[in-house]
Amino acid sequence: MNATSNMPSAPDFTRDLEIVAPLTPRQIFLRRARRHRGFLFGAGVILVIAALALLAPLLAPHDPYAQNLISRLQPPVWMDRGAWDHPLGTDQLGRDYLSRLFYGAQFSLLIGFTAMVISGFIGTSLGVVAGYFGGRVDLIITFLITARLSMPIVLIALAVAALLGSSLTIVILILGLLLWDRFAVVARSKTMQLRDADYLMSAKALGMPRWRIILTEILPNIMDAVIVVATLEMAHAILLEAALSFLGLGVQPPLPSWGLMIAEGKDFLLFEPWLIMIPGAALLLLVLAINLLGDGLRDISSPEARS
Amino acid sequence: MKKAIICIYVALALGAGAAHAGPEDDTLRIAWDGELPTLDRYFNVLREGILVSRLIWDALLYKDPATLEFKPLLAESYRFVDSTTMEFELRQGITFHNGEPFDADDVVYTLEFVSNPENRVLTQRNVSWIKSVEKLDDYRVRLEMKQPTPTALEFLSGPLLIYPNEYYAEVGPKGMGTHPVGTGPYRVVEFKPGESIRFEINKQYFDGSPKGKPSISTIEQRTIPDRNTQITELFSGTVDWIWKVPADQASRIVGRPGISVVNEQTLRIAYLSFDSSNRTGNASPVNNPLVRKAIGHAIDRSAIVSKLVGGVSEVVHSACHPQQFGCEQDVAQYEYDPEKAKQLLAEAGYPDGFEIDFHAYRNRPYAEAIMGYLQAVGIRTSLVYLKYAALRDKVYAGEIDFNFMTWGSYSFNDVSAITSHFFKGTQDDYARDSQLIADLELGDGSVDSEERKNAYSRALKSIADNAYWVPLFTYNVNYAFNDKLDFTATADEIPRFYSAGWK
Repeated sequence: MNATSNMPSAPDFTRDLEIVAPLTPRQIFLRRARRHRGFLFGAGVILVIAALALLAPLLAPHDPYAQNLISRLQPPVWMDRGAWDHPLGTDQLGRDYLSRLFYGAQFSLLIGFTAMVISGFIGTSLGVVAGYFGGRVDLIITFLITARLSMPIVLIALAVAALLGSSLTIVILILGLLLWDRFAVVARSKTMQLRDADYLMSAKALGMPRWRIILTEILPNIMDAVIVVATLEMAHAILLEAALSFLGLGVQPPLPSWGLMIAEGKDFLLFEPWLIMIPGAALLLLVLAINLLGDGLRDISSPEARS
Repeated sequence: MKKAIICIYVALALGAGAAHAGPEDDTLRIAWDGELPTLDRYFNVLREGILVSRLIWDALLYKDPATLEFKPLLAESYRFVDSTTMEFELRQGITFHNGEPFDADDVVYTLEFVSNPENRVLTQRNVSWIKSVEKLDDYRVRLEMKQPTPTALEFLSGPLLIYPNEYYAEVGPKGMGTHPVGTGPYRVVEFKPGESIRFEINKQYFDGSPKGKPSISTIEQRTIPDRNTQITELFSGTVDWIWKVPADQASRIVGRPGISVVNEQTLRIAYLSFDSSNRTGNASPVNNPLVRKAIGHAIDRSAIVSKLVGGVSEVVHSACHPQQFGCEQDVAQYEYDPEKAKQLLAEAGYPDGFEIDFHAYRNRPYAEAIMGYLQAVGIRTSLVYLKYAALRDKVYAGEIDFNFMTWGSYSFNDVSAITSHFFKGTQDDYARDSQLIADLELGDGSVDSEERKNAYSRALKSIADNAYWVPLFTYNVNYAFNDKLDFTATADEIPRFYSAGWK
């Protein structure tokens, strides 16, 4: 900045435009991303958690399944009786809490990501089809969306898990098949906005088949909105998994899911509260980070910010 | 951090201190997690239902928890006419809570009603031995058994409570379940199913009852499902008595001013049960006795007892509680030896272990500890954790290969209440061993205690040799209560509030 910076209004605006104009969209995106604190924090935390999850076999100080009843309920290192051997202490079966937290991150991310991909695929497909074709197709799909929105997710998930039994695959499928509504709503309204755009008209006039129009013209243009929904739904799926596991119908022991760790620590709430606080804080951090990332993506990619 | 949390709890407690319990208003406030749907003892099998029933009703006989002697209660005296016939002289001048006088009609009606299979009382074993009951005169009754029943006195002093015939005929199990009427030391003044019960002292309770005269005027029970809430309320003084406090929490309560913690044994044991006879038709690895023995060797039961279960619990090797009559202790033992377990698994054809569903209904941490030990020898279990009734139905239907179960024998001090219950070819039996069934039949049907002992000994040795079960440990109960309360815990896991008082 030079001397003009003490005259911040109109001249600055034109200056910015001059500088920004030659940049590619990707450069603009990165530039905005670097300035957005929430986005940076969210992305950073997710990267760290993902790294810990992926590198769990290398980083975890102990086998997360190895129980040792002799050293059970050892508190974390910063409390009395804590020791560096188990930096976050041990659970009620003497398993290393830090190692279980790392491995638990794998399950949280795996479930959140896979459920998000499944529901994203279902929801976006339905939404785009409804938005593009309109008419009766739209009526039917809107009916499906409304029907889905009227179902209480936790209740349905509990009932299905109780009926089919619970396992990692079933939890992922249940969540994936239940969380597509927001994708559908957003994809539908975005597609409707685009339907009469000039470039679509041109594509149609050129005789481009419908599926190609959808794949190459519509999808890339609604992706930014879909990605924002995807982050929210991933956070949603992670929280729901924790809730299901807490109720005993999600991931089954001895797998170290964070929700399950909270459930197993519940009985010790009064005297060993850290058993709940540690996985609870991890869960809070991850969900907060994903939400911040999503908010950031929205801010960065929104048309207002693009101008 | 921990201190801060406790401070918060204490602060909350002081804030809520208005409803202080205890001797001041002569009201004993008790809490537990069980939800009683009905108070009719014959249609509810919860442990809490048993202890409540002993407040409301009396049986013909009473078993002294200290001396284990049988004493007449509603009966004035009793005698065996022969090995299948008993006669009772009844006490006179007793009235039920609703004013109905107690006489032979009540005894005949109650025992005939419950022993009639059409009335479907829940625990048929308690009543199925009764052939007929006959009124000799207003205060004399004769009871005929189907066969000699060595445990008749146990039944007559325990579950067989006497109901008022006119009232029961009128209201049936449903009415009795919500508005119970008995002769017992307390009467129910309010019952909200699954929520709370309010008892008031029965001032007319008869002199000379071996139960003694009750002293506390009101007992208020509340169902509090969460253990931590129960403990917090005990700290704050809004609850005077709780039980089944887990060992970890009990050890933190001990020494807290104003609170007593008592650990007492129970007749409940934990065990692993296997489908030894391939009843499910799944061809499970546990059909193989070598696998079952390997599982016995894989689990460090002493560590589970000392680190998780705590208290006065002990490891058991025989399929019964060591205190029960006939519980042979000289049986095959499978000591903790993971190497041997792996070797047996290899011998059985599973050098790399196998995967199996593991069913359980209570004590999830214990189940998980067992799973951890099994994982260490290569047996990968996935836990199927169900409510008791759901798991029991699956067991009855012959669908379960491998489960972690417990049995309290209804506080019966006799192996017929556990070993015979599970191995006599009934719906619970997954061994289906005809020799074993014959030995148990012999033990259950004889009145010669030497002959019974020998028969049960053969049966229990065979169960251990074949590893039909892997018995794990005995249970204990931690009671925590206001130290102004004079309460004695008993080994039969039936708290007797009619004997409690204030210090």
